[in-house]
Amino acid sequence: MQIIKTDGNSIDKAVEILKRGGLVIYPTETLYGIGADATNPKAIKKLTQYKERPFGKPYSIAVADQKMAEEYAEINSTAKNLYKQFLPGPLTIISKGKGKVAPGVESEDGALGIRIPDYKLIRDIIKAFKKPITSTSANASYKKRPYKVSDILENISKKQESLIDLIIDGGKLPKNDPSTVIDTTLDDMVTLRQGKIKFNKENEILSKSEEATQNLAKEIWQKYERHQGKRSIVFALEGSMGTGKTQFTKGLAGAMGIEETITSPTYNLLHTYDYKNKKSSAISHELFHFDAWRMLDGEELRNLDFENIIKNKGVISIEWAERVSDIIKEFDDEAIIIWIKIKFGKAENERVISWGNI
Amino acid sequence: MKILAIDTSCDETAVAVTEDAKVLSNIIWSQASAHAKFGGVMPSLAQRMHEERIDFVIQRALENGKWQMENLDSITVTVGPGLSIALGVGVNKARQLATKYKKPLIAVNHIEGHLFSSLARPNNSKLQTTNHKLNLEFPAYGLVVSGGNTLFILIEKVGKYKVLAETQDDALGEALDKGARMLGLGYPGGAILEKMARLHNVSARQTGFQLPIPLVGQEKRQIFSYSGLKTSFYRLIQKYPPKNKQDICNLAAVFQDVAFAHIERILSYYFSNHPFTHSTNQLLLGGGVAANIELRKRLRKLCRKHNLKLHTPYSNRLYGDNAAMIGVAAYLNQNFVNPKEIDRIPNLKLA
Repeated sequence: MQIIKTDGNSIDKAVEILKRGGLVIYPTETLYGIGADATNPKAIKKLTQYKERPFGKPYSIAVADQKMAEEYAEINSTAKNLYKQFLPGPLTIISKGKGKVAPGVESEDGALGIRIPDYKLIRDIIKAFKKPITSTSANASYKKRPYKVSDILENISKKQESLIDLIIDGGKLPKNDPSTVIDTTLDDMVTLRQGKIKFNKENEILSKSEEATQNLAKEIWQKYERHQGKRSIVFALEGSMGTGKTQFTKGLAGAMGIEETITSPTYNLLHTYDYKNKKSSAISHELFHFDAWRMLDGEELRNLDFENIIKNKGVISIEWAERVSDIIKEFDDEAIIIWIKIKFGKAENERVISWGNI
Repeated sequence: MKILAIDTSCDETAVAVTEDAKVLSNIIWSQASAHAKFGGVMPSLAQRMHEERIDFVIQRALENGKWQMENLDSITVTVGPGLSIALGVGVNKARQLATKYKKPLIAVNHIEGHLFSSLARPNNSKLQTTNHKLNLEFPAYGLVVSGGNTLFILIEKVGKYKVLAETQDDALGEALDKGARMLGLGYPGGAILEKMARLHNVSARQTGFQLPIPLVGQEKRQIFSYSGLKTSFYRLIQKYPPKNKQDICNLAAVFQDVAFAHIERILSYYFSNHPFTHSTNQLLLGGGVAANIELRKRLRKLCRKHNLKLHTPYSNRLYGDNAAMIGVAAYLNQNFVNPKEIDRIPNLKLA
């Protein structure tokens, strides 16, 4: 492993290693990423070994410009707009891939996440390499987000360290959030993860009854249900006592086809409900209904096997999510997290409900 | 039949030794008291706490050697409903002990425990403990009101139950805890709410504070619901922010009054409309909220009106989660399972 500074020679050195199928850690405008030749199966295998992550989770790629993106994915008009407005920048755009990358880079259903880093040196490296490189954070799965080289080295094993071929040290990066991920493969634009860019203006409705709250849950579910079995879907519910978080979950469960009565999980902390999954081959066929009211902090959520439920792509509803938001946020590149805020409105049964992937 | 009983379904690490329906020891390591100082939040890691404590609590229940494992007839454990990881600690321990000491193992439903908690007898009881001598014949009605359950049940016989009404959202105990929280009282809130409510200076219905009883006019649906009450209470507190302790006491009294009135109305509707259907005149009461004196007073009155005999647990330690009630339920139901096959069932149903 070699560590070099971001000077003129770094481009040649990086390209040489990428061509050999090696791993290069590089700075970006968000955090340190780790790059491998996205078209080389051996390089991707090595990367997966380094990341210690389960097979089947796709990698985003970094390209030099939109032209390169179009070689690897179908960039539709929604995507084109986004490229024009936001790239280069902290935005990963998911498009339908053309199957030209190594196995494991595109998702199981052929979607490919692409970004153009707002960091000239990296774009120059990709330009010189003439192929996309992977754009995943340089930490191993579930480890600290890396903003400086020591964040990486202090949190990996000797074995992982031995897999790194080159580190381009760009110093300490400003603590920006990871990139926003937007799926453009749907007609309706869906934000998977909201990072730095505040995307859609927040959705908001006025619910006038428990039924209306339940119907909203149903609508939101219908928007996200196609991700079922591909990623964990988390409904993170915020709102004070009596605002209707359990009502929302009732609507969600109803939309999922669960017939059992959904009751508040406050006392037991977690209720699970089986459901028949018609549309996907998800590992998990349960709705996990958490309640964090009695939890002191996020560690308790972790103790309830939250990580495994996410890994098994479970559908999760969490009441009092604000109490454990630190842990929920850790999984924002693994799961689709929809934050739902419910507030009391003016009249007795009115609720102002807003949602998004903030 | 001498039984070592274990319950780790949620917060409490509980172990008891029972003989038939007699309670020989009943040890409960409650987290709730330790938690009050956290300002209403349950501290972390229920599972780890069970694991750390279970051996110690078992030793205490065996009264440091007064009862030997070798001399017990069987081991019983709660398999559900409850929190999966918490249940797992008790189930694993029971399996381990049953295998080690070659004792038969009995699986018990936690709610069944609460249901039969009023049949437990003190050690010095001269009463024989068979059903007949307990002066109890099935069918009977059961009411379980706790932090996690609100169930009105028909016990056709031991092991055969029909749920007559259950909550659609919050359990009664949870509603009381949350009402207490809205008033800024600590945790566990229900117990404090009861104390404050006792200090109201005018009758609950004359405080000037008005709260609608849930589902009035809809008793026919035979469900319990507390979600609407939370909303009404929030609105009430917004409108009349308590200015002094007396206001808080009066608000607590109103909230408790309405929460209990809801239970009374649902039960009363059922008894009035099914006066002779089940040829029973018994109501077995159990669960943590049943420790509330005001609730018991009202239920006693209700039972008198409908010619029912109300059975309540003989000791305060039998209301909340405990293992003695599990031992009694195990003795009555005797649902033997193979230690190799026993497993937790977090969403176990009663019927």
